[in-house]
Amino acid sequence: MAGALVIWIVLLGPVITLLTHLSWSEISSSLTAPGGLDPLIVSVESGGVTLAVLFLLCTPLAWMLARGTLPFPRIWEAGVLCSLLLPPLVIGLLLVFMVGPYTAFGQLIAHLNLSATNTFLALVIAEVYESAPYYVLGAQAAFGSVDPRLEQQAALLGDRPRRVFRRVTLPLAAPGLAMSLAIAWARAMGAFGAVIVIAYHPYGLPLQIWTTLQSTGLASALPYALILLVVALPLPLAAYIWSARARGRRRG
Amino acid sequence: MLEADVEVDRREFSLRAAIQVAPGERLALFGPSGAGKTTLLETIAGLVPPRRGDVTLAGRVLTSTGRPPVAVPAWRRQVGLLRQDPGLFPHLSVRDNLTYAPSADPPGAELTELAEALGIGALLAAMPARLSGGQQHRVALGRLLLARCRALLLDEPYSGLDAILRRSLTALVVAMVTERAVPAVLVAHELADAQAFANRMAVLDQGCVLQVGGPDEVVLRPASRRVAELVGYLGFVPLPGGRLAGIHPDRVVAGSAPERGVLMAGLLGGCRPSGAGWEVDLELDSGTVTARLPERPVTDSGELILTAIDPPLFGPDGASVSP
Repeated sequence: MAGALVIWIVLLGPVITLLTHLSWSEISSSLTAPGGLDPLIVSVESGGVTLAVLFLLCTPLAWMLARGTLPFPRIWEAGVLCSLLLPPLVIGLLLVFMVGPYTAFGQLIAHLNLSATNTFLALVIAEVYESAPYYVLGAQAAFGSVDPRLEQQAALLGDRPRRVFRRVTLPLAAPGLAMSLAIAWARAMGAFGAVIVIAYHPYGLPLQIWTTLQSTGLASALPYALILLVVALPLPLAAYIWSARARGRRRG
Repeated sequence: MLEADVEVDRREFSLRAAIQVAPGERLALFGPSGAGKTTLLETIAGLVPPRRGDVTLAGRVLTSTGRPPVAVPAWRRQVGLLRQDPGLFPHLSVRDNLTYAPSADPPGAELTELAEALGIGALLAAMPARLSGGQQHRVALGRLLLARCRALLLDEPYSGLDAILRRSLTALVVAMVTERAVPAVLVAHELADAQAFANRMAVLDQGCVLQVGGPDEVVLRPASRRVAELVGYLGFVPLPGGRLAGIHPDRVVAGSAPERGVLMAGLLGGCRPSGAGWEVDLELDSGTVTARLPERPVTDSGELILTAIDPPLFGPDGASVSP
């Protein structure tokens, strides 16, 4: 018990340090400065778009990985793991070669007056690449925990596959999916390595912390760190509480 | 009428089976593990595609490998499957489980009546995790009945439950199947379960149907030595003419009664309690036979005479022969 408490406090050390080194006047002056809320808005918007992209595009992939409907499933899983193992900074460098202005993709979207470097789109792309593997692997585990026999039973009772997915698979996987989305959200909000290479502008909170640290010092950067924590934390916490309650309801 | 005549390739064996079940009829598929019983049910349910064959229900072709091929998906077959795991949806209440099927009527008088008949009327608001094993099976059965399934497939549904509960649930299913006049097929590897349910039995072994008949006929007149072994014959005594008499432990009486069957004289090899009676081993020249007797045999010399009542006879090839 005592050992666990010590480890818990040590793990919380950075958060405790942050709270003890902040003053309300610094927070107030940071937020009320002209454009002070912009990084927060950029981070929340890009994080929201990132979550929507992950949910729409990666949920079917996670389901297929969980159900083993893809040929050579180990190769597919290895591909997801590869992007998890790549350092975020390297992901950023490679994204420049993949979607930068001189690439085929870059030239294609240039026709639509879009650019995948130093734009909101670039920020979303970087956040998607940094958070996608966490979501895919988490969602795969969530779908994997749903007994396929329940889906079979729903089909035998007259449900088409889409209806089975909506009425059985999704509700049963929902607590795990919510936790995976929350983790992906936290990763997207804190994305820095890939972002600094491909999306230096517009500033989200991590970039704001970095540039403030460089220009005016450690004390000025701390209020943004607190804002990052305050913005990033509620969703994981809410997901955790909701998941626990959903599991509790099933237990009756 | 449910008709299936299929060949299915599995990793361990190939199943070749043909069955017909009339409305209201109850067929038990009996056989050892790995005989292909579950595969046959899953083929009828549309979960396993056959290599060759047809499945029809009430004149409607559900599966056909002929031309044109037909494979009605599981969700359009109206075939209910109940397994050992009742498969209740854990996120839905008992009421929502019961009315899950799109073909089920919204909660109303029918739901209330059926829930009362199944003894789960007070549990409609409960979540499945709060139910006992027997209650879960009642809900699963009710769900199939409310779904208006046109055939009922039962894959050893009660094998994890105690004997009393198993018996009451079996009686409930029998009553419901008779009332609704749907064909029902039960997979069982316990002979007593199969006999309690069925009015016809099919014995399967290694993917082949060895015999189809009444639940008493299959046991009293097995078509081959292999069927006899599967339905519980533990000894085979040689008779003149190269024939063998099958000895079922429950069809043996103590003493000499030649007019009732085949006499067996030997030494008492062992005697142990079995249920409300005694199980004895009789050492014969040809081997050991086992019998269950209502009373402990008394013998000073160790010699014992038993009579096998009207035993089935088998030829050297294992096929049944006339007495």
